[in-house]
Amino acid sequence: MQALLLVALLAPGWALAQTAVSDKEAREDAAGFKEFSDHVKEYVRLHKSAEATIPPLKPTDRPEMITAYQQALVRKIREARPRAKRGDIFTHKAREAFRHVIRSEFLGPQAAHARATIQQGAPLEKVHLQVNQTYPESAPHTTVPPTLLLQLPKLPNEVAYRIVDRDLVLLDVKANLAVDLIPKGIP
Amino acid sequence: MRFRLFFFFALLALLAPAQPADEFKFPLKSNSVRFAAIGDMGTGQTRQYEVAQRMVGARQRFPFDFVIMLGDNIYGGSSPRDFEKKFEIPYKPLLDAGVKFYAALGNHDNPNERFYKPFNINGAAYYTFKKGNVRFFVLDSNYMDPKQFAWLETQLQNTGSGDWKICYFHHSLYSSGRKHGAATDLRLQLEPLFVKYSVNVVFSGHEHVYERAQPQKGIYYFTEGASGQLRRGNLKATDSTGKGFDADRTFMLVEIVGDEMYFETISRTGETVDSGVIQRQLRSSATKSLLPAPNNAVWTPASDRQGLRPDGSARPPAWPSGSSDTKIFIGLPSA
Repeated sequence: MQALLLVALLAPGWALAQTAVSDKEAREDAAGFKEFSDHVKEYVRLHKSAEATIPPLKPTDRPEMITAYQQALVRKIREARPRAKRGDIFTHKAREAFRHVIRSEFLGPQAAHARATIQQGAPLEKVHLQVNQTYPESAPHTTVPPTLLLQLPKLPNEVAYRIVDRDLVLLDVKANLAVDLIPKGIP
Repeated sequence: MRFRLFFFFALLALLAPAQPADEFKFPLKSNSVRFAAIGDMGTGQTRQYEVAQRMVGARQRFPFDFVIMLGDNIYGGSSPRDFEKKFEIPYKPLLDAGVKFYAALGNHDNPNERFYKPFNINGAAYYTFKKGNVRFFVLDSNYMDPKQFAWLETQLQNTGSGDWKICYFHHSLYSSGRKHGAATDLRLQLEPLFVKYSVNVVFSGHEHVYERAQPQKGIYYFTEGASGQLRRGNLKATDSTGKGFDADRTFMLVEIVGDEMYFETISRTGETVDSGVIQRQLRSSATKSLLPAPNNAVWTPASDRQGLRPDGSARPPAWPSGSSDTKIFIGLPSA
């Protein structure tokens, strides 16, 4: 009886504390995503300036033109950010926010679907990209679960999220280049 | 090079078994929409070339105008040599005859394939095109982000109710394949849109077999992922299986005449492994339409080349009961 009374007295306080924690966490996540989106905008500006220095890629029936364009863009981007390193875009705050969202997706009600989706696309294993490294030419792409994409910050056309082994990679789509990553971002 | 190519195709033609008498007849109406469907073909290996050659032969009796590619168009790299060996050479007779190819991107494709003109993607990862009374929606199922969903919804909304709506993309929403199975996360997001906007037919690849799923919420799903690759014996019948074939490589031929879609699935050796006619669903309520059992829907395991179970019986129907405004005739069309 005394125990019940104690629970009844403490429960509202505990619930309030939990709400405060989740509010705080939500605010921190929002700030993390904002920081991420700002860095992505900066990167896209850099991408566009790099792209402006090479002849534009238009649909062509000569595959060598596509390869040449991709290689030129990679070179220009690497030159423009020679000291790029992990965490430049997925900052500490951003990483935390991403981890929260991804964890809730992979531990939530859609977890089985999300995991099955990753398994569907012959996921790359034991491959770990580095910043400024190109995605392996002959490697398949893992499907990023659409339900996860709904939860993550929207991206401009120049970049996309990719899953490589368990790493979440921000990939420059046209250059096929790793811009930044969260190692073991997928639980 | 040209001589070697000519010699290769001449040799294939000589070695190919005689074309069996075709029982399935397409209407071949002058204003119909005629196309072929291939998936997971870009291996550059002999089997892909044999399927391509079979397509060239089929075009003599069924002059299709274009080919839809269901992804994994170029495996293992995207050098000029890859494009040549895995696309330009095998389909050269079709390309020379003016047949157009419309590609979806698979998980083995370099996303920059969208800039390769003969794939008609025109630089976007997802796009739409119209032929006659058919609107095609080509999606990038590797990366279904909210932007693509919004685009798809707008496009579906803007398509007239008099048109067929056909979606195609790489990953199957319904599959009885053991290797990958259905892309259920993708299905959770896409199916409500398909139902809401009365999509009629969906084509996919990825699983290296042929399969026609039983209609799901009134929508017909085909998997054609064996036009180059093959995962022999990979099908395992489930409640959603309509008909499957995992004994050889295949491609599909389709003709749409008014409200009817005729289809035939042909193996590398020229055998018809599935065929039928689908009546376009005219749904007043998108979720209302459920199909009656077709009278000879059968399950075709790898061990059974004749298209029936060893005892000749049809698979027990698992089809939803109830009235319907949709008709399907699997087998020979009545007319």
